[in-house]
Amino acid sequence: MSARGFRPTVAEALAGVVLVLLLVAAFWPGLLAPGDPLAVSRTEAFQPPSLAHLFGTDESGRDIYTRVVHGAAESLRIGVLATAIGIGLATVLGLVAGLGPRWLDFGTTRFVEVLFAFPGLLLALLFIVVTGPGVVSSTVAVGLATAPGYARIIRSQVRRTASAEFVEAARVLGRGRFWIVTRHVLPNVTAALFVLATLGLGQAVIWVSSLSYLGLGAVPPAAEWGAMLAAGRTYIANFWWMTFFPGLAIVASAAAATVLGRGIQKRNRSAA
Amino acid sequence: MPLRRSTRPRAAAVVVAAAALFLAACTSGGTSPDQESGEPVAGGTLTYASGDAEPSCLDPHVGGNYPQALVATQYLESLVSLSDDGEVVPWLATEWSESDDGMAWELRLRDDVTFTDGTPFDAEAVAANIAHVQDPATASSTGYLALAKVQDVVAVEDHLVRLELSEPDSALLESLSQVWVAMESPKALERSQEENCAAPVGTGPFVVDEWDRQESVTLVRNEDYVSPPGDVEVPDGGALPYLDTIVWRFIPDSASRYAALQSGEVQVIDNAQPDTIVSAEEDPALEELDAPRPGAANRIELNAGKAPFDDERVREAFIRSVDVEAGIESLFFGTAERSYSPLSSVEPLGLSEPDLFSVDTDAAARLLDEAGWTERDAEGYRTKDGERLTLDFPVSTNQSIPAEQSLFEQIQADARTAGFEVRLHPLDLSSWYETLAQNDYDLVSAPYTKVGPDVLRILYHSASIEPAPSGYFANLAQVDDPELDDLLARAASTSRDDERASLYEQAQRIILEGYHILPLYDQQNHFLHSSSVRGLRAMPTVSTPTFAEAWLAS
Repeated sequence: MSARGFRPTVAEALAGVVLVLLLVAAFWPGLLAPGDPLAVSRTEAFQPPSLAHLFGTDESGRDIYTRVVHGAAESLRIGVLATAIGIGLATVLGLVAGLGPRWLDFGTTRFVEVLFAFPGLLLALLFIVVTGPGVVSSTVAVGLATAPGYARIIRSQVRRTASAEFVEAARVLGRGRFWIVTRHVLPNVTAALFVLATLGLGQAVIWVSSLSYLGLGAVPPAAEWGAMLAAGRTYIANFWWMTFFPGLAIVASAAAATVLGRGIQKRNRSAA
Repeated sequence: MPLRRSTRPRAAAVVVAAAALFLAACTSGGTSPDQESGEPVAGGTLTYASGDAEPSCLDPHVGGNYPQALVATQYLESLVSLSDDGEVVPWLATEWSESDDGMAWELRLRDDVTFTDGTPFDAEAVAANIAHVQDPATASSTGYLALAKVQDVVAVEDHLVRLELSEPDSALLESLSQVWVAMESPKALERSQEENCAAPVGTGPFVVDEWDRQESVTLVRNEDYVSPPGDVEVPDGGALPYLDTIVWRFIPDSASRYAALQSGEVQVIDNAQPDTIVSAEEDPALEELDAPRPGAANRIELNAGKAPFDDERVREAFIRSVDVEAGIESLFFGTAERSYSPLSSVEPLGLSEPDLFSVDTDAAARLLDEAGWTERDAEGYRTKDGERLTLDFPVSTNQSIPAEQSLFEQIQADARTAGFEVRLHPLDLSSWYETLAQNDYDLVSAPYTKVGPDVLRILYHSASIEPAPSGYFANLAQVDDPELDDLLARAASTSRDDERASLYEQAQRIILEGYHILPLYDQQNHFLHSSSVRGLRAMPTVSTPTFAEAWLAS
């Protein structure tokens, strides 16, 4: 891999900046916005963007900039957790299918294909209908809904690795199954997983926001992007900033994660 | 804690009453004089977009909520109606009399009316309707409670009916004026409930033609319409109604609903948002109809049936710690006025007590200390015996407009400062009913519309803690006070106006001074319509708009 391969494009550099900002916002929101995202100030309701309120204020006079910054933690945490659940589950399924006996592979693959037939968001909604709305269930729902897609990719990666010569060699040397999986198979799947996770994060943020927008995720007055979008929707005719900025945050974070993910994917491919 | 008593509330009540009369005169009439100009044009299709939940049954006898009343006003009619100044006027009944002991009423019925399925309207039909409302299998709530004192219905002659009561009921005629006890064809009522829910048959200006669920109800002109309420001047030739068709659409999203009105896709919308009402004022193509609903004001009920609100001090502390007034001002853009009464401002007997609701955070803190909620946990919430002072507040997203939901968030923020943890649970209508039925709430805001102060009996008499056949119980504050029960029962059975007024005043005083409710504002009922829609008015009964006299100017 040459050094040139690491030089980012303009889009990737921008995406990197956005992600760094998001991480700062998620872990140290006070650095970017010291205020309280839930502080109500009735006299300052519905103010357009200004120097005092960069993104304007909402119907209760809460500062939208502060809410967007503090919302990053909520949206990203749910996004990361959902992706982790999805990929974790998919890794188990993929390993089972890729390394298990023929009948197990057949069963798991068919099961994943059935799940795959449902649109992801529908699967998430189905899950929420059963468990009831809330942050936890919407996180798990998005995780579950994304798992089948990952599982398919991981299974094929696992199969390819498992038939590689060095794995064959390890088996001939009498290494145990567990040792082979942890030392040889998993590390070789990790690169693909990382790309998937980065791409998936962007998607998960959108899905989680969608569920909150539908009133199935975070509840008021939480500073969650989807919930903010839903609250601002009513006032879209007169107060555009209430929906514009939370929407912008969702678009920017999803786009940044996708651009970075694609960049890594591209380099992996050219390195291989 | 001593309360500062003043004589001002009485004066305030008078002012409120006067304002109510004035408002009623301005708004219930609906149309301004310049709109009336021009000859009515017959024909055309009008599209109405409702933001209320789509009814699960179009027959308002079943359950009985406001969305049903809105649409049913177009095809069902009641025995009596009200004039703009609140007088009972004839409708399907032409005259009536009360027996000397108040235990029976006789109503003379119109003899020239037939239901739209050809069944004649007569005394037997009235009996069948009241039996239908009272039948537990119908699962009526609003109509059932309104007719609770009717024991027997006797068809004296073909067109003379006698209602025999279990006790005198001063609110009987007001109750009968409501669309929840409107008259339906007895033949149609014999069908299965499912069939009757899909297309109830009445005597009204329109007929239910088709119900495309989740989308719209199509209403077509009743070609044989003869029976508008007594206060309507029938034009020569009896041409009512003017419209051929009404398409009654359901558009729950308020922004889409307003956009549809602006684009001309629909001509009338309900549940208009405060900010759009203000912007519509500047638009010459749009007009507003403001028709505050009678009965109860919108209020938050404090559930006294369980801890922590079984302690009056905790209830008072909550009410003293939240500032509702400033929120109403900013969220409603001047379209709603703060209420301090259990009753709507259109009810002349409403008692208003602003002093009881002034914000006093010091008093709130003292009261909570007295009640034993002395500790604070890491998040700043008060605790007692290690238990946090938590209040569950289920919010019906179908019944509370977004501005109201924002107001609840502000209340949550205020209460937090005082040490209450208010948990808002936004719920759809059926989950919301379920939560109430399971007593899983400490705070709740539930609209209740009924003509006249008798609504107090329905909302605060201890008997209303028992669920109606529909499973709904109206006394959500769970007020259980024998003295109040007695006042409400006596007010409902007296025929003397001054005694009735004084009894209702005492009853309201008990409700307000017991800190059972936090009044917010009148039940908002704002309609926006295209200025091409003429002759639209709200019924003086429960403020639903009627299209009987409406027409479309080209």
